[in-house]
This record gives sequence, C-alpha cells and structure tokens, in this order.
Amino acid sequence: MEPIIHIENIHKHFGKVHALRGVSLDVHKGEVVVIIGPSGSGKSTLLRCINRLEEYDAGRIVVDGILLDNAQNINAVRQEIGMVFQSFSLFAHLTVMENLTLAQRVVRKRSRDESQEIALELLTKVGIPDKAQAYPIQLSGGQQQRVAIARALAMNPKIMLFDEPTSALDPEMIKEVLDVMLALAREGMTMVVVSHEMGFARAAANRMILMDEGQIIEEATPEKFFTSSHERTKQFLSTVLHMY
Amino acid sequence: MDGQLKPRPSGSKLAYLPGAESITRIDPWWGLVVLVVGLTVTLVTVRADPFWRILLFVRDGVAVTAFITVSAFMFTLIAGMIGGLGRLSRNPVIHGVATLYVEIVRGIPLLVQLIWWYFAFPVVVQGIGRWLNIAAIANYQSNAIFTAVTGLTVCYGAYMSEIYRAGIQSVPKDQAEAARSLGMTHFQSMRHVILPQAVRMVLPPVGNEFIALLKDSCLVSVVAVADLTRRGREFMAVHFNPIEVWTMVALLYLIMTLFLARLVSWVEKKAHFER
Repeated sequence: MEPIIHIENIHKHFGKVHALRGVSLDVHKGEVVVIIGPSGSGKSTLLRCINRLEEYDAGRIVVDGILLDNAQNINAVRQEIGMVFQSFSLFAHLTVMENLTLAQRVVRKRSRDESQEIALELLTKVGIPDKAQAYPIQLSGGQQQRVAIARALAMNPKIMLFDEPTSALDPEMIKEVLDVMLALAREGMTMVVVSHEMGFARAAANRMILMDEGQIIEEATPEKFFTSSHERTKQFLSTVLHMY
Repeated sequence: MDGQLKPRPSGSKLAYLPGAESITRIDPWWGLVVLVVGLTVTLVTVRADPFWRILLFVRDGVAVTAFITVSAFMFTLIAGMIGGLGRLSRNPVIHGVATLYVEIVRGIPLLVQLIWWYFAFPVVVQGIGRWLNIAAIANYQSNAIFTAVTGLTVCYGAYMSEIYRAGIQSVPKDQAEAARSLGMTHFQSMRHVILPQAVRMVLPPVGNEFIALLKDSCLVSVVAVADLTRRGREFMAVHFNPIEVWTMVALLYLIMTLFLARLVSWVEKKAHFER
C-alpha cells in the first residue's frame, strides 16, 4: 500500500546548522508514529517539514500523493494535515467557538451553522462543550490544548501532527490531553507525534523512532524499542523513563 | 498567559470576572474635561465681549480643523496599513519603496512638507501637464484643504506605517503558523488572525497619533487653510487682543484633545483582550 506520508532523504539547514541529515520515513494510513530524541535532534523540524511550515533543502516529501517540493497549492495539502503545537497557539482574540469555526468557514467554506455544529460536536468529544464562549486566556493549559486538537480536527484532516503537545502542561493536564490523543489513535487517525510521554507511546504507537543529530537512530515497534539493545536508544530511554 | 485575569469589557458574558465592575466606572479624567469646558463657558458668558465674539468668529475654524483632522486621520489609517504591510513585505521592491517612503518623510519637518505640497507640488503638476500637453493638468490650481489633508496624510502615514509594522510583528509567530497549518492562505491569515490582533495592539499609539495630528493640524494655517489657528490670527489682526484670542484658541484645542483622549481610551477598553 502507498504510504500516506513518504519522506525521502531530506536535508535541512538553519544557517550553518545541519538540522536534518538525510531523513527517510514512511507512514501508512492509520499508523501512529511517535518520535523521541534530545532537543535539537531535528524531530520538530521533521514534523514541520511534513506540512511545509519549514522548507527543506534537499530530498522529497509526498503527502497523500502530492509532492511537497514545489507544490503550488500548499494550502490544499495543509487542509488535510492537522497540527497541534506545544504552545497551543489558539487565536487569542477569538472565543473557543470562533477558533474552531474560523478555518472551517474561510478555508472549507462551510456555513456558520454547519461549522458551529461540527465545532460543538468536537468540543463535546474533547470534553469541554461548556467552554464554547470562553476566550483562550480563561482556559487552563490542558483545556487550551484540547481546544487546539478540536480546532485541527474540525478540518477533517487525514493526518494529525503533534509537536510536543504536553510539554507545556502540568501532570494532571497532561493526562486529559493524552486521553484525547489516545482516543483519536484508537479511532484509526494517522498520527505523527513528537513526545516524550512514554506511557502514551506504549499504549498508542505502532512504531517508535529515536532521532539524534538530524538522523533517525532507531526505528522499531514499541515492544522492540523499549527493549532495544542499541546503545543510544538505551541511553536516551533511561533519561526519559527516569531510570536511575 | 501568566498574569492575572483582567476585565475584558465586551459585555455581560464576562461580568463574573474579578475587576469587571470597574468597566462601568466613569473615567476620572472626565472631571478635567468638565473643568475646561466649564471655564470656557464661564469666560464666554461672563465676558461675552470679546470671548463670545471670538468664539463666533473662529467657530468655522473649529469645523475646518475637525474636518481636516478626521479626514487626514482616516486616510492615515489606510496609508499606514499599506505602508506597514509594505515594510514587512518579502518582495524587495515593495519593501524598498515602503522603507524609502518612511525614511524620507520622517526626515523632513511637517511644516516644510506642507509648504512643499502647497507651493511646489502644483508647479510640478503644471510642468507635467505642459510636457504632456494636457491643458487640464497644465492649469492645475492647488486646493488648500486638499493640500492640507494630503500633506498630513503623507506625513502621518509614514509614522503610522512604523506603528502598524511594530504591531504586526508583535503578534506571536505561532499565531500565523497555526493559521497556515489550518490551510489558510497568507492573506486569510493576515485578514482574520494577524491584523485583528495587531490592530488592538496598536490602538494606544494610534490614538496618540490621532491627538498629535489634531495639534499638528494647526500648521496648515500657513498654507491658506482657514483653520482654528488661522481664524484666531485673523481676529487678532483686526482687534489686537492677543491674550483673549490665544487663550480662547488654546482652550478650544484643549477641549478637542481632551475629548479625543477620552474617546481613544474608551475605544482601547472596548477592544482590549488578554493574551
């Protein structure tokens, strides 16, 4: 089967820093891939290349049959890819409801009623239908992140990208966000997740990837990954699992 | 994200927030407005000659000043938006033109600019008309009010460009990224996400510009516009009573700027939102 995301030998430089050094990765429909790695290892950059928030210098990425290298209509690709950021990035001047309906209306051209109906459905799904009229600042971090997930889902994406979605959250809030993500994974959503939540990875991931210095070090199923004999993997896992 | 919740005065739905009740409290600065208006009214009634006569004489000047200020301000908002977006453009030509505009205009005194528009600009236009052999352009005569509004707009548009630029840049980058990741075009992201936040952010400096514009509008009196200042000078030329005339003119400017300041802070409160 054709992978829904096909990444082939991509390179990315930030000035003199060689952030991605020939990364290749295929993600199939319905797969959940969790990427871990130390900061500066290029995992976020890789994720951001998939919806071209970051341009890559060499290599190729094909998403849902569309080559991104010089895709004329990048917006058409982005509509199919939901993205959740570490900093939530809700539109600060809009209510939760407006956050969820804006792109539906201007990008998907849905009517006000239809988009609000979809928004409310998704807010119920992420467990905060009562916050529809609140502003982002009035919500806790966990609630904001769940709104951000709902906002991405409102576009009916085929793929969801998560860039350290729980790194800015308190432990209690982390769980409420991970619960939503886990439910999403069980529904068969294709997900690429940059996260160090190993509990989530164990429960949801089909595949785990360790990145370091712009390269994929190891790629394996969670069972194999957690019992890996690879030195770098063992070393990094010991730090994220706090095994002293 | 951290700071405490401040009231977001958008009406009843947020009225439960701590501190929200202060929205309805009357701005204490209205006291100053009342004081100045009271003083003016007292002068005009108690010493009707010459204060009432001065007021009658300069009142059309007040209207001209108000008209020039408001219309120049409206055009300034548009010019500033275009200039600000131009300054941020990745197109080197657009960026260059916008930067050149800002740098040139900022470096020339407003009075000199107004005089240039009034005396030099028509000659330039006439020259072009003769060169193109079009009689209508060759016989171009400048209109004082038009010149005044143009001059003020060009000058304040440059300052406003910088304010807009700063405002747009102050909107966190992740807002645009979130918008783009949802499939919005660059234009849609600007229109629905960046500019609405930038505009709220720049309201205080824009309000200041509005008040500064009102005061600087007195410079148009040198280019034959019968504004408040010029009418004051005309009255004084006939009756020679500088204390009364310029006190009255000063009070009238003060009343206008005080009202404008209240209006500006009211709009700011209305549009306020917490990040």
